[in-house]
Amino acid sequence: MNYFGGIDVGAISTEAVIIDEGDEISGYSIVETGANSTDAADEAFGKALLAAGIHRDAVSFIGATGYGRVSVPLANKTVTEISCHALGAKYLFPDIGTVIDIGGQDSKVICVGDSGKVLDFTMNDKCAAGTGRFLEVMASKLRVSLEEMGGLSLHAKAEAHISSVCTVFAESEVVSLVAKNHPKEEIIKGLSRAITNRVSGMVKAVGVYGEVTMSGGVAKNRGVVTLMEEQLGKPIRVYTEPQIVGALGAALFARRQSRAVK
Amino acid sequence: MTEFHSPSRREYLLKQREVYGRHIFGVFPAQYPRELLWTMNILPVEIWDPPLDLSYASAHLQSYICSIVRLGLEFIVKGKGDILDGFLFPHTCDSIQNLSSIVNNYLKPGKPCYFFYHPKWPYRESSHRFYIEQLRDLAAQLGDQFGALDYSRFKRYVEKGEKVTSVMRDLYSLRASGGLSASNGEFYRTIRQAEFLHPDDLIPLLEKFLEGSQGTPRSETSVILSGVLPNPSEILALLDELKIRVGDDDLLACGRRYLVPPNQTQDPFESLAERYFYMPPCTTRNSPIKERLEHLINKVEGSNAQGVIFWIVKFCEPELFDMPHLIEGLKKKGLPTLVIDVEPNQELTGQLTTRIEAFGEMIR
Amino acid sequence: MGKKRRLRKESASLGPPLTSNRSLKELMATHYLLSRYAQGAMPVAWVTSGAPVEILRPFDFYTFYPENHGALCGAQKMGPELCAEAEEHGYHQDLCSYARIDLGHYFSGKTPVGRLPKPDLLFAANNICQTVVYWYKALAEYWKIPLILFDTPYNFGEISEVDISYMVRQLEEMIPLLEQISKIRFRYKRFRKIVGIAREASLTWGEVLSTMKARPSPMTIFDAFIHLAPIVSLRGLPAALEHYQGLLAELKDRVAQGVGAIKNERWRLMWDNIAIWYKMRDFSNLFAERGMNFVTATYTNAWTETIGYLDETKPFESMAKAYSLVILNNNLDHRLQLMERLIQEFQVDGLVIHSARSCKPYSVGQYDLRRLITERLQIPTVVIEADITDSRAYSEEQAMVRLEAFFETLEG
Repeated sequence: MNYFGGIDVGAISTEAVIIDEGDEISGYSIVETGANSTDAADEAFGKALLAAGIHRDAVSFIGATGYGRVSVPLANKTVTEISCHALGAKYLFPDIGTVIDIGGQDSKVICVGDSGKVLDFTMNDKCAAGTGRFLEVMASKLRVSLEEMGGLSLHAKAEAHISSVCTVFAESEVVSLVAKNHPKEEIIKGLSRAITNRVSGMVKAVGVYGEVTMSGGVAKNRGVVTLMEEQLGKPIRVYTEPQIVGALGAALFARRQSRAVK
Repeated sequence: MTEFHSPSRREYLLKQREVYGRHIFGVFPAQYPRELLWTMNILPVEIWDPPLDLSYASAHLQSYICSIVRLGLEFIVKGKGDILDGFLFPHTCDSIQNLSSIVNNYLKPGKPCYFFYHPKWPYRESSHRFYIEQLRDLAAQLGDQFGALDYSRFKRYVEKGEKVTSVMRDLYSLRASGGLSASNGEFYRTIRQAEFLHPDDLIPLLEKFLEGSQGTPRSETSVILSGVLPNPSEILALLDELKIRVGDDDLLACGRRYLVPPNQTQDPFESLAERYFYMPPCTTRNSPIKERLEHLINKVEGSNAQGVIFWIVKFCEPELFDMPHLIEGLKKKGLPTLVIDVEPNQELTGQLTTRIEAFGEMIR
Repeated sequence: MGKKRRLRKESASLGPPLTSNRSLKELMATHYLLSRYAQGAMPVAWVTSGAPVEILRPFDFYTFYPENHGALCGAQKMGPELCAEAEEHGYHQDLCSYARIDLGHYFSGKTPVGRLPKPDLLFAANNICQTVVYWYKALAEYWKIPLILFDTPYNFGEISEVDISYMVRQLEEMIPLLEQISKIRFRYKRFRKIVGIAREASLTWGEVLSTMKARPSPMTIFDAFIHLAPIVSLRGLPAALEHYQGLLAELKDRVAQGVGAIKNERWRLMWDNIAIWYKMRDFSNLFAERGMNFVTATYTNAWTETIGYLDETKPFESMAKAYSLVILNNNLDHRLQLMERLIQEFQVDGLVIHSARSCKPYSVGQYDLRRLITERLQIPTVVIEADITDSRAYSEEQAMVRLEAFFETLEG
């Protein structure tokens, strides 16, 4: 049995996915990228092998994607995370046409065609507003964990209004609200709204086609996902482990490429 | 720093002054009657993207002003124009308009500043007449400093200008038809020398390049560039690396100004006016969007391109206003587009690289 | 639709409101109401604030001013919502927010004034900026209607005969197209009369502004920003002149009785650039509470500064001058001199400069202007980075830090 690997080296986390010839996921892992992309890629891949219960030699082709894809000597091929998210998401949810990926450092909206091909995309990579970084900064200001944010947002009865275009503005607004003892859940809901507004603006610019899915770390935040569903007026599919969609796409590219090579 | 901005450029300019007695003018973007300057023995040197770190500019310009203007101001404030005999500001946009006044009225660089207003579309009879009068006016003003305009010399230089654009047209045709072997980087490095070379040096350079670049292009996949200028040049190198060639361009610094149709008018003033009004459509002349879209589509079809990259300088209002219409129009034709907005002279970030690579993956 | 306007309490530091405020409201409401019936009934033109509207009036165009509408949307806090609509259609966030609001309205139909009449003609002049032309060009493409541009060469130095001839010819060239669209023949006599009325109204507006030289000033600049609407959008119509005659009478009365717009006028300030429309009430209160009144502004002054050139006996040539010599179409030396003159005439103690993200011709050069005014006139100045209608570009915290420092300098 031949296996194929995909490694997604992001600015904050690195994921690795191993699939078999039938495109089934045999194993995956998520690690912190830290200061060295190459080490992170090795570590993630090693842990994915363990999870899959296979040896390194069983993997015949490896694709790398993400910010640090150029630093993965293991890789046989590199593909951008845009194409990987499109392919990975399409594989998981065949009826989707729109992928929203909110990662640590950037967010993307991808319009996906039938075979998982990218038809159009837009990225917000100039500033933190609309990215996971935005929520991370705020979480530390409010002394909550990123994991808690989703639940807290959903429990809020009202929401504070917070700037959606500038993290620096938003931060000073949060400081003011905290100083006035404004309820935490309402601030968090306001923050979720801010990030949702920012990203849904991007979605509308690209256009919604077919069903919608969200991937990336922020997709784990039910608060943001719920607000996004409201804004778009559509249910949003989220895979059980939304962070690995990119790496999955890379693995699928690896499998395709090896077929082509043969 | 690209070789384009190498110290040899300064040497060249000094030589022009010492050996040929030419005056050197710093000219800001974008549309100006270069043939008129040549006639007055002035060599225009265009100031688009001097390789400077922006430090003083923020004392004079807000953060929401484009970096072409900021770099231009930095250039002046840092005294980099020491070898210049004057400045010329064409009326390109609001920011350049006000830059001209900040320089002339507030900074007072100790060199004469000239200004050239060109009429904006919609064109009427009065626009044509005004353009000619503006040319005469500029000639008279320059005449006060550099001696009266010599009519037959003017005719000669208009012909040289015609020769320059003729070779440019040939180069562009060759590239569009897939017969140019040079890389994207080489192409733009070469033609951007038109921003400062005297036509007597520029024409042989372009002709040599034309002759030497006939051959099979390096890749099948081609795109059209639309925007202001091909900077940072690392993006051209990336396109070369990705085996994507530029088939044609709608860039203000390049195609929009050089691809003037040939004209047969005898009178040099009329000739320059004709060149102005028949140039490719451009936002700095306020050309209608329909014309711009047709122009882009013709470029795509004429070079069998797979997509269009809008290469915009951040904060460039004229370009950004037209873009949504153009993208929509191209989409309707099934053409993929990519928008990149850059700061001139910036480092190529991983994110920008990813965008361009992803576009490459998309169009193949 | 926009959010309900929250009734804010007027600060106790403010003097009695002008009775003319009510008549202004009626005047503008009537005008906007007319807009619902204009479409189809009369030719409709959308016009830029600096355009020579006097040439349209003889053709009975119903004129609508998108910039005015933009200011209204800004004041009603609808700026971000409408801008976002335009952004979703690909218009970049860095573009002028008046334009984004207008395009946002085009895409969504949202507006606080009911329904805007679809234009038959777009009429623009680039004396205030080039952006209006890029914007109107986009509208012309969406609606497939003609665009007339009054191309006003920038006065880098002095205005020249070549420039004036160019503009005069343009005015003459426009007439056949205007006749064609409106189906009304141009009558020179009527046109001259309109030019006369426009001149009168602008001069009266100038007199209105002059009353603010009194100590205490009978009006605040925030009131003046609102009362600007008729001279901008109803210029050439008798109603505008009548309104200012009424307002002038009221203000002269106040001056005679020593009634000030704010209760305790301790400091007199000047405002540079367009208003921050969504902060009008807040700023009015903020400054009034400190005994600070804005008694003059370059913005309000713009509609009286050059209109004096208008001359019924030479309507085309005088219009060319009046429209070309507006503040934003002149070099920055002219602006410095203008501001110095206003500071002296109105006895100004401090200058507040609004660096408006949307408005490059106004904003580019402000940093040097500030430095020069501080040096030459020794008055405290402050720059507030904001935007005319997009409140997302404004940070209250950042602005307050600067203003508080300004207050300390002024008071200390």
